[in-house]
Amino acid sequence: MKLRLTLFGLGICGLVALYGTVIAHMPGPGKMHSPYSRAINKLCVPQRHVTDAVTAVNFDYRGFDTLGEEFILFASVMGTLVLLREAAENKGPLSGDSASEPRNVRPTEAVRVTALALVGPTVVFGVYVVTHGQLTPGGGFQGGVVLATAPLLVYLADDFKTFKRITSHALIEISEAVGGGMYAVIGAIALVLSRPYMTNVLPLAQSGGIASGGIIPLISIATGLEVAAGFVLLLYAFLQKTLAERESS
Amino acid sequence: MFLWPPLPVVLPLFTAAFVAAAGPYLPRKLVDAITLGTAAAVMAVCCLLTLQSSGSAIVYWFGAWVPYGHFPIGVAFVIDPMGAGMAAFVAFLVMAAFTFSWQYFDDVRTLYHSLMLIFLAAMCGMCLTGDIFNMFVWFELMSAAGVALCGYHADETGPLQGAINFSVMNTLGAFLSLSGVAMLYSRTGALNFAGIEVALQRQEHLGVFLPIVFIFVIAGFLVKSAAFPFHFWLDDAHAVAPTPVCILFSGVMVELGLFAAARVYYSVFAIALLPWLPALRTLFLAVGATSAIVGGLMAFGQRHLKRLLAFSTISHMGVMILGFALFTSTGLAGTALYVLGHGLVKGALFVGAGILLNRFQSVDEFALQNVGRQMPKTAIIFILGAVGLAGMPPFATYFGEAAIEHSGTQAGLPWISIVIMLSGFLTAGAVLRVAGRVFFGWGEKPTGESRAPRIDLKREMQGQKSKTPPTMWLPAAVMLIIAIALGWFTPLRQAILRDATWFRNTRGYVAAVLHGSAGGPGQYHVPVPHAMPGMHIGGVWMPDMWREVITLALAALLAAIALFPYAIGRRAGTALRHGAALAMRPLHAIHSGKIGDYVAWFTVGIAALAGYLALRR
Repeated sequence: MKLRLTLFGLGICGLVALYGTVIAHMPGPGKMHSPYSRAINKLCVPQRHVTDAVTAVNFDYRGFDTLGEEFILFASVMGTLVLLREAAENKGPLSGDSASEPRNVRPTEAVRVTALALVGPTVVFGVYVVTHGQLTPGGGFQGGVVLATAPLLVYLADDFKTFKRITSHALIEISEAVGGGMYAVIGAIALVLSRPYMTNVLPLAQSGGIASGGIIPLISIATGLEVAAGFVLLLYAFLQKTLAERESS
Repeated sequence: MFLWPPLPVVLPLFTAAFVAAAGPYLPRKLVDAITLGTAAAVMAVCCLLTLQSSGSAIVYWFGAWVPYGHFPIGVAFVIDPMGAGMAAFVAFLVMAAFTFSWQYFDDVRTLYHSLMLIFLAAMCGMCLTGDIFNMFVWFELMSAAGVALCGYHADETGPLQGAINFSVMNTLGAFLSLSGVAMLYSRTGALNFAGIEVALQRQEHLGVFLPIVFIFVIAGFLVKSAAFPFHFWLDDAHAVAPTPVCILFSGVMVELGLFAAARVYYSVFAIALLPWLPALRTLFLAVGATSAIVGGLMAFGQRHLKRLLAFSTISHMGVMILGFALFTSTGLAGTALYVLGHGLVKGALFVGAGILLNRFQSVDEFALQNVGRQMPKTAIIFILGAVGLAGMPPFATYFGEAAIEHSGTQAGLPWISIVIMLSGFLTAGAVLRVAGRVFFGWGEKPTGESRAPRIDLKREMQGQKSKTPPTMWLPAAVMLIIAIALGWFTPLRQAILRDATWFRNTRGYVAAVLHGSAGGPGQYHVPVPHAMPGMHIGGVWMPDMWREVITLALAALLAAIALFPYAIGRRAGTALRHGAALAMRPLHAIHSGKIGDYVAWFTVGIAALAGYLALRR
């Protein structure tokens, strides 16, 4: 223990000093003139008819990275489900099947009303963020998370049973996979037309319009589906486990 | 040309999503067939890419975003035979793992298939990419899938601990890597390897910025490659991971850490870090030698079969790091050959351990004593595996070792041969000891505290199989045969030497990416050493294979002494055992299994590596 602290103390001091040295060699705040951002800002409207440069980078210029990142989320959700399942199985009775259906205290009227009132606007806002990534900041990742909060609000307003009723588990699982697979497929359309993977194959439409950006909105929707479904799956698994534990204690 | 390069990544990702969605509604055999077929297709494509790229590198811009001016704005795959060949090897081992798991898990769900395919895609992406952030993305994806696979069906009590240690250490490393990428970007504005290289050439007043950033960038890769002192998570992860996953962890995932570090070094840093080359050589030689010896000692000290094999991987990783640390084409070619040989041999050994686990629900050496008398096939796997680990010809490991030793001797570092011999001696000795105890029943019965608890490893394999199905031992047989065949196959060794030379050609790489290999100076216009060392006599046998013979003989002796310590006299045997236990105590103490200790080692290790470079100019 003492050895560990000594080691860590030495290491962290050295690491901080080295980190500081490097940062001192970096451009100061506001002094960074990246050739990349200059190029993208110049190119993204004329080339891609997209007014949000970040989305243009995420879903097109470096869209291949985002394919990987989408699958990082996909694998992480699956991994969490696997590990939670292992943990549940190891403890035996907490396997969380319908026999130990969790029951929880009913929320107050104020919580119910507020949460329920928020469900509609949340869904609308989520869909808006997913579909308008090419115009304003947003896109599939952000919008997907917003969408996933809607079932959570339902859970807050009522209970886990209702949460389960409005979210078909099988359907959510399939949606997550479809969202992931769709990204891969949209990118592959170009291959059929003998163009490099992820090349835009759709008309770009007028900048500023909702249909602008060619395949970007489609990819964004695929990502939104995957992210929303992934987060709902996570909520489902964690709620199930937490409530089952609360039940048994 | 437009079709093939993205397929090794995109195809398994799509199949993973498909299997996740449709798997529960399909028959198990069909899912098995689809996933195995996908891995086979990926291997075919990668072999094709290896051949296609042997004339000039394939530069593939995703979304057709070719450089703007000469400034890269998109993501590129830059495929050379080394990368494509490595990806093909990855796909081959995934096929072996899928074949092995055909009848391995009883209640396997399709999550396993999806995760394995995602793991495959991520590793292929690492091999083929030409972009530092893209490489980081695949690195992360590899970790995410790897952690999940590691915790899938735990073999032991405390199953999540191995997965958590894996996850924490790799996340820490990844954090530093990402910081390093951001630091590089702040000075260069580029993420493409070639783009960064060119931009660094134009920078002035970089000072110690570059060497420190280099260590930060490869920190994650060093953790992944299980180099000392970043290796602690590895045996914890192997101890709990399912056997088919262990094949991939030891056979390719760990090696990819070194591959990524080498790729980043030779395509971005090599020229800019030239003043630091002697210091870098010292550092990596030290890291490699320490890993080789510590891993070997710890391997010999294990009775848990999977941990033993995991420590042996750490030891052999040390050998591979030594090959890289010479910074020569021959050394790197030796490492590449060694990766192939070791991956195949170690994969076969893990299959052997998996067969024992399947039959007897245990991987404890003492619990398994004498159980394997009727298992000649598994016994052969273990014995041949030990021979391969010792580096005997004609195993491919031998040719890898020979090239590294040759290059080391030329560089005036003959001690490298001794370290490699030690690594082979300890790890082969450990495996032979296990083989003697399990398959021949040799060895003293454990007494007192060392009596084996009959560990209850019920989870991985329910329903005891009385006979080992061929889908289990066949992959091991194929892997061992290929490990031997590769050694005999002279053109392959020659091609690997050529590919290693190209791999190290920074200027050629940059020109190929930014100016297109046609027209500009082609990537491959570098003189290639005309022959791998010592392949003249009959194409195979070398005059100095005496080293390997001695290594194997000593390993057998070591195993015999460990099995029958009292054969040399009661007193002497007791003294030997106590002495060995005492000597190993500090080593066992630092492999504590506590994540806090590992983090302390990580910070000290990174600070030492980067600090040494910063102070050496």
